[in-house]
Amino acid sequence: MGIKVQNLVKRFGDRTIIDHVSFEIAHGELVSLLGPSGCGKTTTLRCIAGLETPEEGHIEIDGEIVFDAARGIMVEPYHRSIGMVFQSYAIWPHLSVFQNVAFPLHVRHRPRAEVESRVTRALEMVGLASFRDRSSQQLSGGQQQRVAVARAIVHSPAALLFDEPLSNLDAKLRDRTRAEIRRLQRDLHVATVYVTHDQGEALSLSDRILVMGEGRIHQAGTPQEIYGDPQDAFVADVVGAANFFDVEIQRADADDFRCVALDGTSIHAHGRVAVPGPGRVMVRPDRLVIEVDTGNGTAPNRLRGTVLQRLFLGGHFEYAVAVGPTLLRVFSPVQIEEETRVVVSFAAQDGIVLGAEHAPAEAEPGAWA
Amino acid sequence: MAASDHTLELTGPTLAPPARMVRHRSSDALIRVIFVGTFAVTAFLIVTPLASLLYGSFRTGGPGTSAAYTTQNWQDLGSRGIINTLLTTCLISVLTSLFSSICGGAMAWLTYRTDFRYKRLLVAAIGLSFFFPGFILAMAWVILGSPGGIFNSILSDVLHIDNVQFDIYSVTGIIWIQVLHITPFAFFTLRGPLSSMDSSLEEAAYASGANPWQVACRVTLPLMIFPVLSSLLLCFVLSMEQFAIPALVGIPGHVNTLATELYLLTSFSPPNTGLAATVGLAMSAVTGLSIFAQRRVVHRRNAPTVSGRGYRLRPLNLGHWRVTASVLCLLYALLSFIIPAIALVYTSAIKYFVANPFEAAYTWRNYQQIWESPGTIRAFWNTLIVAGGGAVLGLILGTLIAYSTHRLKRRGYRALDILASLPFGIPGIVIGLGFLWSYVYLPIYGTLWVLVFCYVARFLPYATETIGAQVVQLDRALEEAAWISGANRIASFRRIMLPLLRPALQSGYFLLFIAYFREIAAAALIYTSSTQVLSISIWAFFENANWGVASALSIITSVITVALMVAVMRAPLRL
Repeated sequence: MGIKVQNLVKRFGDRTIIDHVSFEIAHGELVSLLGPSGCGKTTTLRCIAGLETPEEGHIEIDGEIVFDAARGIMVEPYHRSIGMVFQSYAIWPHLSVFQNVAFPLHVRHRPRAEVESRVTRALEMVGLASFRDRSSQQLSGGQQQRVAVARAIVHSPAALLFDEPLSNLDAKLRDRTRAEIRRLQRDLHVATVYVTHDQGEALSLSDRILVMGEGRIHQAGTPQEIYGDPQDAFVADVVGAANFFDVEIQRADADDFRCVALDGTSIHAHGRVAVPGPGRVMVRPDRLVIEVDTGNGTAPNRLRGTVLQRLFLGGHFEYAVAVGPTLLRVFSPVQIEEETRVVVSFAAQDGIVLGAEHAPAEAEPGAWA
Repeated sequence: MAASDHTLELTGPTLAPPARMVRHRSSDALIRVIFVGTFAVTAFLIVTPLASLLYGSFRTGGPGTSAAYTTQNWQDLGSRGIINTLLTTCLISVLTSLFSSICGGAMAWLTYRTDFRYKRLLVAAIGLSFFFPGFILAMAWVILGSPGGIFNSILSDVLHIDNVQFDIYSVTGIIWIQVLHITPFAFFTLRGPLSSMDSSLEEAAYASGANPWQVACRVTLPLMIFPVLSSLLLCFVLSMEQFAIPALVGIPGHVNTLATELYLLTSFSPPNTGLAATVGLAMSAVTGLSIFAQRRVVHRRNAPTVSGRGYRLRPLNLGHWRVTASVLCLLYALLSFIIPAIALVYTSAIKYFVANPFEAAYTWRNYQQIWESPGTIRAFWNTLIVAGGGAVLGLILGTLIAYSTHRLKRRGYRALDILASLPFGIPGIVIGLGFLWSYVYLPIYGTLWVLVFCYVARFLPYATETIGAQVVQLDRALEEAAWISGANRIASFRRIMLPLLRPALQSGYFLLFIAYFREIAAAALIYTSSTQVLSISIWAFFENANWGVASALSIITSVITVALMVAVMRAPLRL
């Protein structure tokens, strides 16, 4: 067993940062904690590391209880078998690259030969073998990040923790490092928690994703499940771009939902809500088809609107289409002028009916990034 | 070794975290002990003198005597004499503060906002006068400006002008010396805000068509209002708590400030230590409130003024004002450091005092006399022990406090923070009196420990501020990464925090050393013949009209202080 977290609760003053969070991470599995800032993901990670003391709950690392509120167990971070990569890297400026990486071995009083071979191997794994005698102040941001990774893995910890490790790197380096972290983690086969607010990172790196919001886990699943079948509007909004529009659910049957949009268009979709009544439909922008309105009657899943804005993004256009009071974001290679009357349509399997709760903030035209 | 073997090592069995047997509880208990210990020591050092003063202010007799409780001292606080002294002190302090801030502000502005040519020289001169001890400066000015002093002798004997005479033994004299002494503090308070002010604010005004004068009056000065206020308050407090200058200059001229009044009440018979304690508390109330206000001002200032972007404003062209500026700055350097130093060197090298250097008889006798006087040698060693050893203790306590208030943040850390910054608002002579009131009841009576305790308490904020500033700059994750790596709190502190704090520890140590080395106000009331220190020896020689030896000893002390300052400034700040 890798990491086990049960009913974790953490409060700062009267604010509840983590609200009864439970999950398990298997040996060798990489799990992302994904969510907007302030959702409690970093605090969860710091609780696992032992840098924060939770109010309630139970944490195990590699079968050993490191925290249990009921039994009064709180193992200090330095007695937990963990490696951690900090957002700021936290490379010690007064030590060389070698000394930084060797630190976890030195404090464990490992024999010199072992220190030598482990550090060498760790530096090889992050591609910094030739930097071992450099002063850590001569390193670029990307190199510091690698030293931080080497330092986190050099003592073969039972759990590896990443706190937004890529957020301080530039875009190109970020993509490359992302792939390297994945390869490294596979090779080491260690239970890994990866905190990020970047959905792209989470989707590409993870075996599983835990989407967090307001201190709770909204959904846990593989990247495909999270992206393709979000459980609620919050998850849909956090993972990937999403459009929402209000509907009245008339029939909710397993995979065949019948709804009516505000403008009277009937909607066929699938979903998770079992009760008829007000609801919302979510469609990804790349699943919407946009075409010039030729005025041919009405059909299910065809919404009429006007192009407000068109942005050229290289591979495709991004359209802002006003459908009644709702703005839809559409990715399409088709070129249509602004102010054109259009029809936006989607297939029944691409529309997901969600409950009306957890409504994400309404997007303003021109305000989406 | 083959690569595959390495792979096996890193993916193999986990290395056990170190010292498995030592569980969290012991470490947590250790942290608690350290925190509580720090708190207790700090409380003892700060609360003891204050509580003793409060006790003393309700006693009819001095410390250790059989006496009764009374409220007479508090009634006497409203007597004519004390009120007059208070008014004099306030007048001196307000004017000192005003003039120091104007001089310091003007020089900071010249240095950081204009194309003034001798910036580096000016900063060096201000630095020198900053480290020139106040009581030595006062002595030099007595030699220069007293009725029989060098200036007056030159006026009457050389220039034959008899209707103009300097009299340093006056309110004006006190203000004059204090302004020279305190101006560097105003300079250092104002230079930060001036140099880091967001210059785009000024540039925007220029772009709007304002001329330099309008920019200075309508943009720069309003933006500087909080720093200026902070400088005024700080200089006011420094002037209020000045002891050496009014003691050397005011007492002979029968001009008393609260600090000298307190000294006279304690040291001359019949002593009235109860009233002195009351005066000390009243004085601390004024300075304490001012410091409190000053710190509020510091916290409020500069939301818009300081931006991290380092765009340098094109310095203002001084034009033909350049000559005036140079002359004024040179004048400051001459008056605050160069002329006093020359006067001291001269006085130390002559047999008996003659104003005209061409008529003087030169000698090494004064310097010889220092080495031949066992009391002075003893004072020298005492000073070295108190400054060298005491600074270590002060630094250790300061580090523990800074770490406790910025990092550990256990319950009560705010109280510790307030406690540790209290001495900022308590004049040195008052702390000295506080220890005078308390040490007779403690087993440290008559030992150097009294001085060490007193100095550590008095200069505690120097240490906590210097080290605290560095602690908050260190990323918290640097230490957390050490814990994660398996180093416990003590090991992390020793191997990560201490090396990273080294620059602050170094400069903190020298700052304390210099402060302890030249302190006179706190020592004036509590030294005994066996615990005499250099500053007191100098003062004693001077009071006994032995200007020559006093000057010689002053020069030695100044050289040591200035040499140390230079050493600190040039000390490599490598990590």
